[in-house]
Amino acid sequence: MTSATSRPLEYLEGLPGTTFYKLYQQPSTALAIFRRMLPDLVNVAKCFVMALLYLKDPLPTADLEVWVNSESKKERDNALSILGRLHILSTTLTGDNVRAYMITNPFAASLRQALTGAEDSHSFGVFSQAPEHTLTSITDLDEYARRQWEGVMGYMVGTSALSGQRDMVNLSKGVKQLLQAGHLVEIRGNRVDITKDGFGFVLQDVNTQVWHILILYVESAEAIGMDSVEVLSFLFLLSSLELGSSYDKSHMTPNQLRTLMDLADFGIVYQEHADATRFYPTRLATTLTSDSSALSNPVTGSLTGPAGPSGGSGSGFIIIETNYRLYAYTSSPLQISLISLFTNLKYRFPNLVTGKITRQSVRRAIEMGITADQIISYLLSHAHPQLRKHSAAQPNGKGVPASVLPPTVTDQIRLWQLERDRLRATAGFLFKDFTSLAEYQAPCQYAAEIGVLVWKSDRKRMFFVTRHEQVAAFLRSQKVGGK
Amino acid sequence: MPRAVRGLLIECDPSIKSMILKYDEERHDYIVEDLDDENHLVIKESQLQNLKVRLDQVLTAP
Repeated sequence: MTSATSRPLEYLEGLPGTTFYKLYQQPSTALAIFRRMLPDLVNVAKCFVMALLYLKDPLPTADLEVWVNSESKKERDNALSILGRLHILSTTLTGDNVRAYMITNPFAASLRQALTGAEDSHSFGVFSQAPEHTLTSITDLDEYARRQWEGVMGYMVGTSALSGQRDMVNLSKGVKQLLQAGHLVEIRGNRVDITKDGFGFVLQDVNTQVWHILILYVESAEAIGMDSVEVLSFLFLLSSLELGSSYDKSHMTPNQLRTLMDLADFGIVYQEHADATRFYPTRLATTLTSDSSALSNPVTGSLTGPAGPSGGSGSGFIIIETNYRLYAYTSSPLQISLISLFTNLKYRFPNLVTGKITRQSVRRAIEMGITADQIISYLLSHAHPQLRKHSAAQPNGKGVPASVLPPTVTDQIRLWQLERDRLRATAGFLFKDFTSLAEYQAPCQYAAEIGVLVWKSDRKRMFFVTRHEQVAAFLRSQKVGGK
Repeated sequence: MPRAVRGLLIECDPSIKSMILKYDEERHDYIVEDLDDENHLVIKESQLQNLKVRLDQVLTAP
């Protein structure tokens, strides 16, 4: 799930501090960031925020360091660094010149307001009071979200033209432009060609896809004259709404209404028609900032499962044998074209396609920019229940259930990728020219603690990091402290 | 005085590394820092695609 959390996080980290200041004015944004943006790995970060939130005075750094076991220094520093990058935590000097941590202000005030509920600024949306003529059920919303989202996917993969029997989803011009602006598809004349990025995109899980699209949307909002901060805080507002309830549109600003229209095209929200007085968030919206495990089942199950009535989790349809033969019980054109990205398909029956995964087909996929891990995770998440049953019934000697996919196949797919990718590249910064071993060791250790160190050589006194800002700041502070 | 240099850390087999070193000898336009162990070196960010294409041509030759 790291990919699901890291992309919005990375995007947010890139924003300037003033944007954060404006964003954190909204209680819903503060809560959403607190809930979701701090990835599961750094629950420590959440503890720090909660502990510091209601303190009147900044907490001296030494006091905070006492809370954490000395073996977990790495986790602590990682947590503090993430909080710093999100402008949640800042350091100040107390009266007697001690360095101390405090939660930054608009964030602290907003989060307190969100937690205690003392607010009247419509930050969490307003329930629609108008009587419901036609009740829209959760099943309807799921169906709507699935149809729209699969329509978008289908447009990208180019299946909508093939599938005469399925009800075509009419994609608005805005959707198409957004996909093109995000370099997920290229439009040449009348043809839609999917790009490398697009291939990677369609194989991801739905939540990651939605975030990807939303970030593209925010980035493009400026270009069409909308304030990106306003759009972003509206997205966080959407994510905190309740599935199955309808919300009033009369309090919303023109820009928010416009965003709402655009998001309806993706199936993220639903409204009966453009002039309706209320809107419903769909599951795509309400699971944006919740726990990732909770959302992958219902929507993914119904979104990417077979076209048949069987929904929910465990509705996999792909069987792979140890001889690389693949059987997919599906008639969905979207799924078939996804599978054909990395498989040589041989036969197609009304409810079944069969093919074989070969060196050539995997290499073709990798050349298009799909990674072996993406293929394997796609196969795994759509594995047929029979495969799962088989693996559960056959513990491999040590009581551990055997892997769902045949290990020969997954290993071979990885080997085929390695065959092509002979080198691994990491962008970052090389620190060098340290005069003494002592001068080298301290920043190197610090880089390791905040989790940015990739490579080091004690002999050459060099180390390589993915981010240099904090290490450089550390070097500076050391120099001041030393003299 | 410590310095920081921007670049791409490349991790690869010794065989690939020696090929990159050989390419660099032509015009010295790949390598930022040769890290002196068997499988690491830092190259210019802009050269990655170029390098991949060159390696691919050699390695996938029939």
